[in-house]
Amino acid sequence: MSTDDKTRTITDTFPCVRCGLTVTAVAPDGGRRNHCPSCLHSLHVLDRVEGGPSECRSRMIPISIAVLRSGGWMVIHRCARCGELTSNPIAGDDNQLILMRMAVRPLAQPPFPLEAFGDL
Amino acid sequence: MPRRKPVASRPQRRKDPHRGEGREAFRCAGCRLDVPVVAPGTAHRNHCPHCLTSLHVDDRVPGDRRAGCRGRMAAFSVTVRGDGEWLIIHLCEACGVLSANRIAGDDNALALLRIAIRPLSDSRLPVSALLAL
Repeated sequence: MSTDDKTRTITDTFPCVRCGLTVTAVAPDGGRRNHCPSCLHSLHVLDRVEGGPSECRSRMIPISIAVLRSGGWMVIHRCARCGELTSNPIAGDDNQLILMRMAVRPLAQPPFPLEAFGDL
Repeated sequence: MPRRKPVASRPQRRKDPHRGEGREAFRCAGCRLDVPVVAPGTAHRNHCPHCLTSLHVDDRVPGDRRAGCRGRMAAFSVTVRGDGEWLIIHLCEACGVLSANRIAGDDNALALLRIAIRPLSDSRLPVSALLAL
């Protein structure tokens, strides 16, 4: 019974809401995955207040990268419908170009001239 | 010879718990700076312009004061809206909630830039993706 459960969790998959890719629920490093490794979009299925399932079930768009003190990267998602923010660690096979694009996006559109920092 | 303690002439005044509601300034939870609530460029200042720290007092709507947490919120990340406006993402250090707020005109540019380039200062994983191109 327990081996059957284990097999089921390993072979568990979900379709990506945005690109339709069939994604395994377990990441290569063993962790549970919540976003598509190709386009990094997620689904709003977890409620942060109650900790249980959320009834929103809308698409969550990746908006930025945060770095933990330990050096690990987190993807921050925002729900397209209710505006909820969540953060999740990246997996080893996440699309690195999209991760990089999100990381440099603030620097591509700075609210102040970055040339002033050259004098510091 | 022990000095005789004088009798307290009046009882100590109690703190007014409602002091500072509808006020013009708040004190930063991170660096204790007195911050005026009027800010250039935004009507919803919720973080310190010097160290970008905020306080977890609002629930979903800015200014609703419905969160009972009152934990310190550290600036966690920076994101860009579609129209090019920067948003600071705060993480509550007490309960782990995330919230986003637009930057103000007098926010510390160095502190903002430090958060923005933090992913790039880490020379691990995804940076190598650019080198492989």
